[in-house]
Amino acid sequence: MNSLADNTIMLKVKAGDLDKMGLLFERYHRPLYGFLFHMTYQRETSEDLVQQVFYKMLKYRETFTATGEFVHWMYSIARNTLKDQGKSLKQRVKHENTDDHTERLSGGLTPEEQLEKKQAKLGLYKAMEKLSDSHREVLTLSKFQELKYQEIAHILDISEIAVKTRAHRAMQELKSIYEKAER
Amino acid sequence: MKCEQYEGLFAGWINNELKPAERETLEQHLNGCAACREELASMQQLWAMMDEVEVPEPSASMKTDFTAMLNDFKATEANKKGSSAGIRQQLGWLLQWRQKWPLAYTFAIILVSFGCGYLFFNLKGGSKQDKQMADLTTQVHELKQTMALALLENPSASERIRGVSYTTEIKHADKEVIDALLATLNNDPNVNVRLSTLDALTHLAGHPEVRLGLVQSITTQDSPLMQSAIADVMLKLQEKSSVKSFKELLKQKDLDHGVRDKIKETITQLI
Repeated sequence: MNSLADNTIMLKVKAGDLDKMGLLFERYHRPLYGFLFHMTYQRETSEDLVQQVFYKMLKYRETFTATGEFVHWMYSIARNTLKDQGKSLKQRVKHENTDDHTERLSGGLTPEEQLEKKQAKLGLYKAMEKLSDSHREVLTLSKFQELKYQEIAHILDISEIAVKTRAHRAMQELKSIYEKAER
Repeated sequence: MKCEQYEGLFAGWINNELKPAERETLEQHLNGCAACREELASMQQLWAMMDEVEVPEPSASMKTDFTAMLNDFKATEANKKGSSAGIRQQLGWLLQWRQKWPLAYTFAIILVSFGCGYLFFNLKGGSKQDKQMADLTTQVHELKQTMALALLENPSASERIRGVSYTTEIKHADKEVIDALLATLNNDPNVNVRLSTLDALTHLAGHPEVRLGLVQSITTQDSPLMQSAIADVMLKLQEKSSVKSFKELLKQKDLDHGVRDKIKETITQLI
């Protein structure tokens, strides 16, 4: 785990060595982009948001206390950034053409051989897109960002039990959406 | 136990986060509950399928965008930090000016130089001028004194009188002037010169040596005019030490009768 080093690096940034933020960018811009993409399903927006999150981490570096993990702090800032843009994003997501995803996901694969698997994947992808924000958030953080429920509890600022319950409900919702779409 | 109570454990199960005791509790329930067994299995399958969900690659420009943002941020932070950086920037701007508009730069430098020069001499010049004036005044004084002394040696009586009158213009007559005047008073052949000298010395009566010289001069004067004039001065100065000299003067048998009466009167007034 990089966690100890992450905090050490971020403390150096806080002390004024701003170039050190480059190391944290190398480590985390992909996972952060992944999280933001699942929350918006817009590539350009997600890239912009990544920059915004890193900018905020520089600007508000004084607020980093190293009492928690760097990644928790980073995802908290990412969530706030999303909230700030939330409304305008939702509007755009609704109007976004889902065929765009179809095209993107099928690119590079040989359709005839893996058609069935692809269909299932696409179905799951679309099902995830239909999840409520809070459910998709908890699943993204646990499944794609590979965070433990306890860590997610830190980021969302709720109890670990509440996170587990929410994760279970999210899986139930996902299953129901997915099964409906498959039939 | 109702199935809902195991919900939290379901989430832990799929994420492989359960402690051994929790796992055992859940397994015991699953053994007796087919519905939960089925639900957990389908959930597990869905969870595994999610691995296949791909996230598109972020574009290559992200890194360069980040570097640009970081540099921008560093620049604005540097600007915020203190005025020293600002001054340095302004100096840099001035140097740029030198290259872009050499003539304007030269004029600016000349203006600044004149300004500095004006300020410098104005501040320093004030005291310098005062000192020069003082020096000049001293020199004029010295010149007047030298002239007065020289004139006292002049063969012409009128020039000697001029010399005497110069000494009255000297504010602080020194010993050299006083000695010269006393010598003139006692030795000058012209009575008018001696009379004007007496007048000049009366103005310098503040000096003790002048008073002493005047008293000593009483017996040396042979002109009735001078003897009478000295008597007037002594009375005016209320110089009591002169009584002894006047008494000696009275002993002179050829003394003028008018002067004798005046001196007798002066003696009685002084005592």
